[in-house]
Amino acid sequence: MFEKEFQHIQELAKKHGIQHYDVYLSKSKAFSVKIFRRDIDSFNYSDSIGLGIRVILDDITGYSYTEKLDRESLESAILNAKKNAKIVDFKEKVVLENYPSISEDLDIYNKDLLRIPVEDKIKKAKKLEQIALDYDKKIVNVPHALIGDNESFFKIANSSGLNKEYSTNACYGFSFCLAKEGEETKSGYFEALSRDFNDIKPKNISNEAAQKALELLGAKEIKSGNYPILFNNEMAATLLSTFWRIFSAKNVQEGQSLLKGQLGKNIAHSIVNIIDDALLNKGYNTRPFDDEGYPSQKTELIADGVLQSFLHNTITALKDDTNSTGNASRSYKSTINISPSNLYIKPGLSSKNDLYSKFPKCLEIVQLSGMHSGCNTISGDFSMGAQGFYCENGQRKYPIHNFTVSGNFLQLMKQIVGIADDLKFKLSAIGAPSILVEDLSISG
Amino acid sequence: MIKKSLIERVLQKALSNGADFSELFLEDSISSTIQLLDSKIVKSINGNDYGAGIRVFYGHKAIYAFTNDVSEKGLLKAAEAVSGAQIGDKSLEIIDLTETLYDSPHKILIPFDSVPHQDKIALIHSIDTASRNFSAYISQVSINYMEKAQQVMIANSEGLFTQDHRTYARVYVSSIAHKDNQMQTGSEGPGALMGYEFFNKLDPEELGRTTAERAVKMLLADYAPSGKFPIIIGNAFGGVIFHEACGHSLETTSVAKGASVFADKLETQIANSCITAIDDGTIPNKWGSSTIDDEGSPTKRTVLIDKGVLKSFMIDKLGGMKIGTPSTGSGRRQSYKFAPTSRMRNTFINTGTDTIDDMISSINYGIYAKKMGGGSVQPGTGDFNFAVGEGYLIEKGKVTKPVRGATLIGNGRDILKKISMISNDLEMAEGMCGSQSGSIPTCVGQPTIKVDEIVVGGRKEK
Repeated sequence: MFEKEFQHIQELAKKHGIQHYDVYLSKSKAFSVKIFRRDIDSFNYSDSIGLGIRVILDDITGYSYTEKLDRESLESAILNAKKNAKIVDFKEKVVLENYPSISEDLDIYNKDLLRIPVEDKIKKAKKLEQIALDYDKKIVNVPHALIGDNESFFKIANSSGLNKEYSTNACYGFSFCLAKEGEETKSGYFEALSRDFNDIKPKNISNEAAQKALELLGAKEIKSGNYPILFNNEMAATLLSTFWRIFSAKNVQEGQSLLKGQLGKNIAHSIVNIIDDALLNKGYNTRPFDDEGYPSQKTELIADGVLQSFLHNTITALKDDTNSTGNASRSYKSTINISPSNLYIKPGLSSKNDLYSKFPKCLEIVQLSGMHSGCNTISGDFSMGAQGFYCENGQRKYPIHNFTVSGNFLQLMKQIVGIADDLKFKLSAIGAPSILVEDLSISG
Repeated sequence: MIKKSLIERVLQKALSNGADFSELFLEDSISSTIQLLDSKIVKSINGNDYGAGIRVFYGHKAIYAFTNDVSEKGLLKAAEAVSGAQIGDKSLEIIDLTETLYDSPHKILIPFDSVPHQDKIALIHSIDTASRNFSAYISQVSINYMEKAQQVMIANSEGLFTQDHRTYARVYVSSIAHKDNQMQTGSEGPGALMGYEFFNKLDPEELGRTTAERAVKMLLADYAPSGKFPIIIGNAFGGVIFHEACGHSLETTSVAKGASVFADKLETQIANSCITAIDDGTIPNKWGSSTIDDEGSPTKRTVLIDKGVLKSFMIDKLGGMKIGTPSTGSGRRQSYKFAPTSRMRNTFINTGTDTIDDMISSINYGIYAKKMGGGSVQPGTGDFNFAVGEGYLIEKGKVTKPVRGATLIGNGRDILKKISMISNDLEMAEGMCGSQSGSIPTCVGQPTIKVDEIVVGGRKEK
């Protein structure tokens, strides 16, 4: 696809004397239907394309993008990128050649998804809402009952002859409900993502969402102090989603990560292993290559508590005299950066139940709020609103709310004393099992 | 942008299965970003966003499609997709568009492309220099310069046909102070619905110095105490408390679903009687203003709360149909890629008569949150949280020392009743607000206020 446009760019680059460049094109189609009170609440289709150009002049990079793909717009995009390269006074070597070859045959596109009739998706979304409402009288409202799917096509070419593309798709279901008793309202949500429409099971999703809202009703306040904290798998993944940037080589090189100079050192408890795997079977972000066209791989970031690697693109890798880990990321509108693919904390052997009984009492956290405001991704400090359960003698005693949990992410990783076997990925493709942290400060 | 006759055909096509309403939104935006890091310009990117969004209503059901194929074929294909999603019973009417253009109170004096790049770069460097000169603790300064010109065309099957041109200027500065293993950030992001004249008026030295000063102050500060305290929240960005704790829950997006704690509270006392709160999209050249909203309705000044009594929600077209009230010109969206929904514009608590000194001397032990950080809220429950960017301890009626790392958590319904004093130093601050219809420019604002009790999450027990 888009051979003609890429041909134009090649010709135009030549015409304007541009020798080093790359082109990134993404085309995505998306659909979603949301149900409210048994009827369609919203229904969205989209079909969009964008193309980003990176021009490199004497190791200086200029960017531009366009959503118009006619020859004239492509020409002005190329000229703009060239102009931008002349403003920048920051030299940085970009590697466009000698990428290792890609051999992976990944299962990331399911043709059958295209054939699911819209009526079936509507039916499933209606079920999502109904099942949650039927679960208990106290479930009074399901503000979000959503079924959707998306399909993306990526094409990357550069002046060194690279020209690759792939397509990927997926579908998802999401249920968010409110449970009410007296004046107290609690919320619960659950989501599922798959490349097989049959895996999106309204009963699993909505029962889970409803249960999560209900079990928090009757919450009490908790006395300020230090407690052992059990983060359930979703909240452990939320923590990792908030702080993954400390692993970005770009952040490290720019002095925005506390992991600078820590390679090979113990930065977490020896039971902690963190992995980024772009080839993970059934991973949401599984892909043959990254946004520079560099092949995907599995990268151990932390092995037995020791920092093994950062996440690299070709630019940061060259500076650290290492190889890219295939974690270049960009959208056609943005400059090149670094993102995880499928990032997760490796599950342990104990069950979540075992973790409850490690201490005579502990707090289990099942909801967190304020990730973008209460967390400093540079210093690692966090202070977040939380809800969960007070646990004693190995089991939940009662729900708790209206408190904050605070600490520092790096210190937290050293204080992880238990890891369960219940690894769960969020839609962000970041996953974790439940983790038990020895001691965190709670204020209520 | 495109011919009127084609717009009429697209709207007609979108109605062809019996829909009640159709709307076409067309956008052509040019934006440009320059970033400084390590005292160097490290990034310069510009681009063109161009596309169309088509929306139809079947009763209260909204169907939306967007595409950046704005050829006749592309638009008709998108119109067909939305019309085919449902079957309605409305008979087809002839659409006859008459163009209405509103006089804009938001004058643009200096277009961005008339200013040489060297001037913009010199401005960015002068902010950086001012920050670094403030203190040797400043280890990094990140500056993002942003300019955007957005041209929109909105037409609908009710005959509306209008256009708006919006020009945005903003610079976001983060200064990072570093000592041993500790880092703290001080940020400011002034902006306006203006051309380059905004940057001409900006004082780069002050901007650099203010962010650096805050970062250093917090770096050397002790951790904030934990517990329940009275708290004073500073003016300008302190308005994020109202934005999060109350504003989002007054958008029809959550009200129409009964998913807001304020859904059934119109004309009732929801706040202390000292509070009057306003959402105003008409303030000339303010960051959150515009002549018309993204559904083509002229923006308004909407009194949300008058002396503690809830007077109005923020209402878009669809939300208004659902709750039976007309639009307040609050239908907004990030771009053609989003269906519009009710959003805030410039939202603020109105000025009062107390003084900051009176507030401080009324507190035996508490926190003065002079500058707030960001926050978020869950409209269904009203639970919110936000970070304190620059905080001080108050002991025995006096501000004693800076404290860092505090988070304020609570519930919107409760806190509105606990605001007991309001000073007379109303100011606003610019931000980007993210919600269902994307990330849009909004202002928050307030005078300095006192809250009688709030949960502070710090790192130390009192």
